[in-house]
Amino acid sequence: MKRISKLFIALFALIVLLLPLLAACDPSGEGTTSAGGDTLVIYNWEDYIDGGDREMDRAPILDDFAAYYQSVTGRPLHITYTTFDTNETMLTKVLKGDAPVDLICPSEYAIEKLLTAGLLKNQKEMYSSLKSQLDGYGITLDGMSSLGKGDGNIEPDVMTVIKSQFGAVKSGDDTFDMTEYMVPYMWGTLGILYNKNIISEEELKKYGWGVLWNEQKSDELENKILMKDSVRDTYAAALFYMYEYGKLPEKYADISSAQAIINITDDDMLEAAEAILTEQREHISGYEVDFGKDDMLNEVVYADFAWSGDALWAIEESYDEETDDYFLGYYCPTGENPDTGKQRFSNIWYDGWVIPTTVKNPLAAMMFIDYMCRPESAIRNSIEIGYTCAVAKDLLASNDDVCAYIEEQEYDIDEYFDDIGRYPEINEYLGVMRDFGPRNDALVNMWQRAKAGSGVNLSLLIIIAVIVGVVALAIAAYFIAQALKLRPRKLG
Amino acid sequence: MKKIVLKKFRLTKKVFSFPYILFLLLFVIVPLVLILVNAFLDGDNRFTFDNFKTFFTSPASTIVLGNSLLVGVITTAVCLILGYPVAYILSKMSSGRLIVLLYVLPMFINFLIRTLATKAIFIAMNVELGMGTVLFGMVYNYLPFMIMPLHTTISSIDKSYYEAAQDLGADKATVFLKTTLPLSVSGIISGITMVFIPTISSFAISQLLSNGKIFLFGDSIQLSFEQNLYGVGSIMSLVMLAFVLVSNLIMNKFNSNSDNVRRSLW
Repeated sequence: MKRISKLFIALFALIVLLLPLLAACDPSGEGTTSAGGDTLVIYNWEDYIDGGDREMDRAPILDDFAAYYQSVTGRPLHITYTTFDTNETMLTKVLKGDAPVDLICPSEYAIEKLLTAGLLKNQKEMYSSLKSQLDGYGITLDGMSSLGKGDGNIEPDVMTVIKSQFGAVKSGDDTFDMTEYMVPYMWGTLGILYNKNIISEEELKKYGWGVLWNEQKSDELENKILMKDSVRDTYAAALFYMYEYGKLPEKYADISSAQAIINITDDDMLEAAEAILTEQREHISGYEVDFGKDDMLNEVVYADFAWSGDALWAIEESYDEETDDYFLGYYCPTGENPDTGKQRFSNIWYDGWVIPTTVKNPLAAMMFIDYMCRPESAIRNSIEIGYTCAVAKDLLASNDDVCAYIEEQEYDIDEYFDDIGRYPEINEYLGVMRDFGPRNDALVNMWQRAKAGSGVNLSLLIIIAVIVGVVALAIAAYFIAQALKLRPRKLG
Repeated sequence: MKKIVLKKFRLTKKVFSFPYILFLLLFVIVPLVLILVNAFLDGDNRFTFDNFKTFFTSPASTIVLGNSLLVGVITTAVCLILGYPVAYILSKMSSGRLIVLLYVLPMFINFLIRTLATKAIFIAMNVELGMGTVLFGMVYNYLPFMIMPLHTTISSIDKSYYEAAQDLGADKATVFLKTTLPLSVSGIISGITMVFIPTISSFAISQLLSNGKIFLFGDSIQLSFEQNLYGVGSIMSLVMLAFVLVSNLIMNKFNSNSDNVRRSLW
């Protein structure tokens, strides 16, 4: 009996283990479905693409691309679209090889990590091997910046920053030019989303990053500030704040550029940042990554440390009919403080399309990136999600279709392109955050400590103990009273 | 060979437990082994004790663990103090069963939805989110787990105990202290177990009801795994497991000391 039960268990285990393998099997293995069409698997951020609009009779951009692909190649395309919510989720999946995808859209530091792990395809090389096929279809992929043919449709300033930081990424003995592995999709800054009724522009200019530490000692703002529950972004904010208020460790006193400060992760800096973040706990409402925009719109909090795209989206929603104005604003503290002359820094970040080594349909992947680089596609995505697309501003502004689309979406064209929240000046006050490599663990440990705080508030404990005690006493008193009432009287 | 196997195979009751044994193996034993293995591996899959060092030397881990235990103890105490009178009164009422159902009904709604609703209420009332709101959320969430076993135990106590006590001249308080309370110890213990253990390992409630400012052990484990720190995360999970086992052992010890009491369903 024992042997048979073992046999059974083994058999069951085998079947259960084999099932997912069977399901994952791609019968042809060539990126084609059995129904006779091509497939493309895209792995993107949540809410990071134009999903269409049924009322306006606009199809999702993925459907438009599938139609375009069919018109070029004559084969139908089946797109599988999956999403991730943080770079770390994506990295965990891709680094462990659990994600057989054709396209990913991570942030710059995650791209660097994937690149150094040897998981990305060189798009320049892919282009030369696909050249004959592409020529056959009569397409050139001119919009892409990764083919070694110049910047394509991408904003030259954005490309300059990426080249300066990631032009020569070292991994072991090899050096990679990351611009050949990625095409920028969206970009933006880190800044402060604020409520105009509570915080004035003068205050923002004067206190800069200090607003998030309630440096102006405003009673209204106290405990009405939200920070990001994301270690890299909040660490950057701490660095910028320490720089602006001269609280950096002494050995870094003479730092003078955003790029120099933003990638320091040694123990001294982590310790200083931890102290600053612990101090900040006294002034803020908490940490979030998803509900900050809603809380700002509902006026539950009045300042939120935000990514520019999220902030622009929230501002759109904050239109107040009574005052005919938007009650939210976005401020990215960079440049000189008008009063003190002290410089202030912020972060500039990029998300870009990369093709991992697991790609099965390289042609569709390359065509998709090129399609996303078209001004008409870029503006659709950009307006839908609120972030700034990486396609050159001049190219967008000079394209009639793009301008017509912007107007159709009820924006003023000049206002749209002159918004400094959307199109900030890319200068030396903005720094790019690199992959922290092995120091990332130390950073996360610091973050654990900062979030743990310094223990429980004692006064609250005492209050609770008192309440518990009172309730216990009340119950005891009730029973004693009952008992006394019903105690049999002694006769006599 | 095949024939022999078939001949020997009989469809006994045991066979029906195989699917569950398999489930246990795959989803309980294997993950536990993985956690144990991960606890000794560093980022590059090499054997190391560094994870233990990181965890046990960090002041943050003691603070977080202390906070969690504290929240657990307070929640359990408040649940017991609130839950016992309710269970006692309900067991004396003829329609008690129905009212208990009303207490348990909210449990059928997902706790995340209830917690989000609680948060919205606190915000609308202008209550500052923090330790107080987290404790409220915990008590609100786990109170039914205290009332249910208590109610079952108290209402299953034989009435002749009270009658005998009263006949012998005991007053109400004595009846309660000498019969009901000792006879409901097993219910109290299962109630405490069912509240304390989930509370120390919970994470979503504290995160939602304090905007992430109250950082409990469950939150810490979640952050470690999210940030790819599998080693430290695994050690925290092991520590949590140890706490669960130890508290279970203590509870069982108590329970076996009072085995003259009929065991409750819970």
